[in-house]
Amino acid sequence: MFFNSNKKVESHIDGFSHLGEGASFEGEIHSKGELEVAGKVKGNISAKTLKILETGKVTGHVNAERVEILGCMLGNTSSLNIHVGEKGVVRGDLRFEINLSVAEGADVLGHVQKAKKDKNKKVDSEKVRYLEHNQRAS
Amino acid sequence: MPSVILNDTILKGNFVEKDSVSINGAFIGDIKAEEIIIKDHGNVNGNLNAGTNIEVNGEVVGDLSADRIHLTNFAKVRGKLFHKNLSVEEGAQLEITAQTRKRISNSNKE
Repeated sequence: MFFNSNKKVESHIDGFSHLGEGASFEGEIHSKGELEVAGKVKGNISAKTLKILETGKVTGHVNAERVEILGCMLGNTSSLNIHVGEKGVVRGDLRFEINLSVAEGADVLGHVQKAKKDKNKKVDSEKVRYLEHNQRAS
Repeated sequence: MPSVILNDTILKGNFVEKDSVSINGAFIGDIKAEEIIIKDHGNVNGNLNAGTNIEVNGEVVGDLSADRIHLTNFAKVRGKLFHKNLSVEEGAQLEITAQTRKRISNSNKE
């Protein structure tokens, strides 16, 4: 940057970012907090919490901790928790780790999969091996 | 409802909004809207094109085009301005060329 910047970056922010009904965005979105989409988004989204409202339409991959689909979602979703509302439309895969809920009336077409928590197991087995190795050594 | 981009959000791409946009996060790309407000944590790298009003309280690198442009005392702007009405507060850091026009065309011509 051409200017010196000494602004503090707050670690936590209350509230959510919002893309309005008249908005259309093409590109990447990275959010460390909550994001609400009421307009059209083309591109990949990563966020902590993503809420696609009834008027919202997302085309692209979504990666989040919590996803609520009340509108239209075209593309793959991977998240810890996924909720599809009664007017939700999903065309693409849903990959979740903890919880999936689909309301009556939702329109879903795609693979639905509960992802295994591989990472923790790998870490555990490595830890065990390490401990065993230490035991043998001593 | 207008769009709001908070401090914890980064957007890369093109943004078109019929209503107003308020940005307090990072944005790389062009924005076209009725009204654009860059808040004090906002950081935009790209051209801004507003129908009525642009208010900058943060950092912008790129061209600004609007009927009315207001740069507040924390504004840091580099680029070209096209406007009918320009107001700058004391303390704004600028590296700009400004041009007054009777009519601002709302197309994103370079």
